[in-house]
Amino acid sequence: MKYPLREIFRKGSGELISSEVGYKRWPLHSLVPKIGLTLLFIWSLVNLNISPRLFLEGIPHFFNLVSEMFPPNWEVFWRGKILWSILETLAMAFVGTFWGALGAFFFALLAASNLSPSKIVREIAKRCLTAERSIPPLIYILLLVVVIGLGPFAGTIVIALGTIGMLGKLFAEAIETIDPKPLESLESAGATKPQIIRYAVLPQVTPSLIANTLFRFDINLRVALFLGVVGGGGIGVDLQMAMSLFRYADALAITVVTLVVIWTAERISDFFRRKVIGQEVLL
Amino acid sequence: MVKRYSKYLLSAGVLALLVSGGMIVCRVDPILLVKGIPRGLELIGHMLPPAWGKITDLLSPALETLQIAFVGTVLGAGLSFIIGILASRNMHSMRFLRDFTRVLLSAERALPDLIVMLFFVAIVGLGAFPGVMALAVSSVGMLGKLFADAIEEVDPKPVESLEAIGASKAQIIHFAVLPQVFPSIIANTLYRFEVNIRMSILLGVVGAGGIGFNLVTSIRLMKYQEAMAAILIILLLVTFCEKSAEVLRKVMIGQELLR
Repeated sequence: MKYPLREIFRKGSGELISSEVGYKRWPLHSLVPKIGLTLLFIWSLVNLNISPRLFLEGIPHFFNLVSEMFPPNWEVFWRGKILWSILETLAMAFVGTFWGALGAFFFALLAASNLSPSKIVREIAKRCLTAERSIPPLIYILLLVVVIGLGPFAGTIVIALGTIGMLGKLFAEAIETIDPKPLESLESAGATKPQIIRYAVLPQVTPSLIANTLFRFDINLRVALFLGVVGGGGIGVDLQMAMSLFRYADALAITVVTLVVIWTAERISDFFRRKVIGQEVLL
Repeated sequence: MVKRYSKYLLSAGVLALLVSGGMIVCRVDPILLVKGIPRGLELIGHMLPPAWGKITDLLSPALETLQIAFVGTVLGAGLSFIIGILASRNMHSMRFLRDFTRVLLSAERALPDLIVMLFFVAIVGLGAFPGVMALAVSSVGMLGKLFADAIEEVDPKPVESLEAIGASKAQIIHFAVLPQVFPSIIANTLYRFEVNIRMSILLGVVGAGGIGFNLVTSIRLMKYQEAMAAILIILLLVTFCEKSAEVLRKVMIGQELLR
């Protein structure tokens, strides 16, 4: 082709694109990272021994797995305490989210620029939250299991900690963006800190706090499922055991019931979230 | 006072009941926590100093973790782009295909990542490959939807002018769609990479290789100094990935975002 399409397009309506969409020098601009990333990708594939052959080999395994999984073995629920484990997972997520959100609110009060008692306290609180977010939950759970033993209590603490890290930041941002007028008028009337929080801050941030907390609950359900595998209690470990002992029919039954429970919990949290956000819109 | 708060009484009571019930189920025990404090300090004592000699042994699993996350993200993003085009309203007129992919995407998002991982380990066995596949598939649920939303919002003028001069579908996507959605794709993919690096650490636990496995084994074998070395490397890895994602974001889309 004598005139590549790119050139025609550039000359034709290229001006329009660069001015309206904010697209300029796109191909050249990112050439270096593009080539670098391509090389990195190829090197990674070689280093990890990944080839399309592995994928093709997986296909018959997949059909084997499916045929072994059906029919799902529902009897597994009468054996042991599978249903109790599912309840445990649910309770871990719920209790962890509740205490985590309370802790996050406390941290947010210290970390928000318009409420913090002093600059140093604010800096410390913010650093704590950042550090908290950057530590993967795997590290917490492994150490906590050593300290307080296996079981759902360790998992609950890990979930609460993770919740504090994320919600603390979001809550602090919500508090920082409130309308300052009620706060200032209460301050000038000589209100105490708890009074300011109750009458100027809480009415403005409550919908956002509840919506974010419910959102985090959805995430925590998945975290709780995972924590079971590393000794945090709940259904995760039963699922992994069934899988690694090749009892795939059991695994499918557990998976189905777990998914139904998680989806139901999500629908409930979705319902409340909509209710809360709807109220905010109405106000 | 009582009257003012009475409308909250019922919901507060139900919440208190649920929380205390949940705490019983979870066997929450503050005494255990207090008792745990000296034990925790003792554990930290056992962990220090980190086994610096083992650091060199941990570098190759750390690299594996990083590469699993990277390859999984790239494959997931590529797959997501294709699915995003199938799921967007303005790219084709097959309604059934669009609805089908949308349903598939939301089903995938609802599936917990652990279940995806366990299934891939069961299908392709242990090693890096199931990890990569699990990350790629679990990225598709989120990225596919975001890409589809970005594609639906492109300015239709370049698309139409290319259509008018008789460009093929692939050419339209390359020259009219891709340039417009590029910043959004890069930003979302980099965000997903940060999620995936954490997940790839967890993957080690279910047998998909990487540094997570080393951490779990050294704690189970009570080699706490080696565990500390692994923890330090993990923290370094997570920070490194966050920083490099930030740099890449600036290099690749910084100018577009500034405008």
